Amino acid sequence: MTIIPLLNKWNSKMTDRERFNAQMHYKEVDRSFNMEFGYWDENYTLWKMFVDNGIKNERQANKFFSFDKIECIGGNYWMSPPFPNIIISENEKYQIHQNGDGLIAEVKKDGKSSIPHYLKSSVVTPSDWAKVKKERFNRNDNSRKINLEFFKALHSPRGERDYPLGIHCGSMIGKIRDMLTFEGICYAIYDYPHMVEDMVETACTLVLDALDILLPEFDFDFASGWEDICYNGGPIVSVDFFRDVITPRYQRINKKLKEFGIDIWYTDCDGDVRPLMPYFLSGGINCLFPFEVNSCAHPAELFETYGKELRIMGGVDKMKLGAGREEIDKYLDTLIPLVKRGGFIPFCDHRCPPNVPEADYLYYLDRKKELFG
Amino acid sequence: MSVLLQINEMLQKGRAKNVEELVNQAINEGIPAQSILNDGLISAMMVVGQKFKENKIYVPEVLIAARAMNAAVAVLQPELVKQGVKPVGKAIVCTVKGDLHDIGKNLVKMMLEGVGIECVDLGVDVDGDAIVEAVKETGANVVCLSALLTTTMTAQKDVIDALKEAGVRNSVKVMVGGAPVTQSFADSIGADAYAVDAASAAEIALTFFK
Repeated sequence: MTIIPLLNKWNSKMTDRERFNAQMHYKEVDRSFNMEFGYWDENYTLWKMFVDNGIKNERQANKFFSFDKIECIGGNYWMSPPFPNIIISENEKYQIHQNGDGLIAEVKKDGKSSIPHYLKSSVVTPSDWAKVKKERFNRNDNSRKINLEFFKALHSPRGERDYPLGIHCGSMIGKIRDMLTFEGICYAIYDYPHMVEDMVETACTLVLDALDILLPEFDFDFASGWEDICYNGGPIVSVDFFRDVITPRYQRINKKLKEFGIDIWYTDCDGDVRPLMPYFLSGGINCLFPFEVNSCAHPAELFETYGKELRIMGGVDKMKLGAGREEIDKYLDTLIPLVKRGGFIPFCDHRCPPNVPEADYLYYLDRKKELFG
Repeated sequence: MSVLLQINEMLQKGRAKNVEELVNQAINEGIPAQSILNDGLISAMMVVGQKFKENKIYVPEVLIAARAMNAAVAVLQPELVKQGVKPVGKAIVCTVKGDLHDIGKNLVKMMLEGVGIECVDLGVDVDGDAIVEAVKETGANVVCLSALLTTTMTAQKDVIDALKEAGVRNSVKVMVGGAPVTQSFADSIGADAYAVDAASAAEIALTFFK
């Protein structure tokens, strides 16, 4: 499908790759890196500009708005094979199904976005875990083999690339939370601490295996990860557990990244990350993404606390995007010194929700260009 | 150390088995059920709630303590009934229509029960009519509404409108909470209170029963 861009790419004197690396390392840039995190599924059917132009996903939207290019590759770090996705029962409003993580969940059938209502996990006790580990976490499984030629055909591996390429470093605890449920992981850490640590070690080993294959073959610009282990009241696991069990695994991954010159590592973690910040940083994660403002703080607060050791990608309060143009203006003004400071790429602090009118979203993109473009 | 102090200490640490044993010991020592509940269990949960509010502990520690509380109350329940001990009050808790998130709602329920409030849990994706019906049926004095999404927080206003329309708005206090909800939003929809977290919700709810 040919996408006719709605907006022009911001004027550039640097490549996207040069700009990303310079901005993340506090060097001079031609302008800010221009990117967004994406949109709720509803936006693709509600926003007229998406409907009229056949824009149905994030990749198409990125081209539609002519954002700067940023890509990431990685290995198969999780259950393989996953649990089969099956429908257990359904009525007019809801469907109860088992997802790939083995969770039994209730979902609405009206297609509106809401995190599923999780009812039961397939992994509760150490014997459940032993079975799942044996059947679905075999590090030598064929499905974990990395097709280097495929990736090299997609992304030029060395210096000639004009966009930043990242290596995905998976999740040390977020995916485990997904498998056990929010409450389940809290109880498991108290009831079966050795089981949870073995889960974390398994996740770490799978990432390290993939890094050994990928790192020598590509010049990566950054590393990425995903945790989502906080909510607006703080972390979902205890700080002590995070420090003692998760951070050492980050450090092992970071050691490999550093050997190959990768010194920017962001992790996707919503919610109030502040209690975990010292342990992210000591593990080598030095960039937050997408940094939810309403559940945490203004990005300036964290920069004030952690200085240039910390970078942030995101940090544009989605609540302000939905609150009208005056609020958008006021909020973006607060980000001017942060973009000037460097180590900060502003974009909506999660996928843009459908309560943001499309006209206001375009206004936001225009204002961002005026201020940072 | 007295058995009540031991109950308090073990509950704060979330040691459910120890708390159960100690509650049995307290019953056998002839300590009134009301005292075991108030001075052993509820006072411990108050400390847990306070530490949570002050960011000294986080959700996992609260969940573990609440699990111990539930186990202890199950042991104590026959004595509470026998000795005619009544709950502090009754509250309805639910997540509003369109929203399936139940973690925040469950935390609020745990903390309310932790301070001695009986909870009627209507679950998730609950519309105004169901809440009106529950208010009429249960005689609850407090309604706690949770919403996690910017797209569903407006359903909290729909509930307040439904309560008004049914003529029961003045018989209940409506509390709202959830990640996107703020004090100004709560004010704008005519809620009686906004709670920033589950521990605050319990504290505020208690004031409505005094």
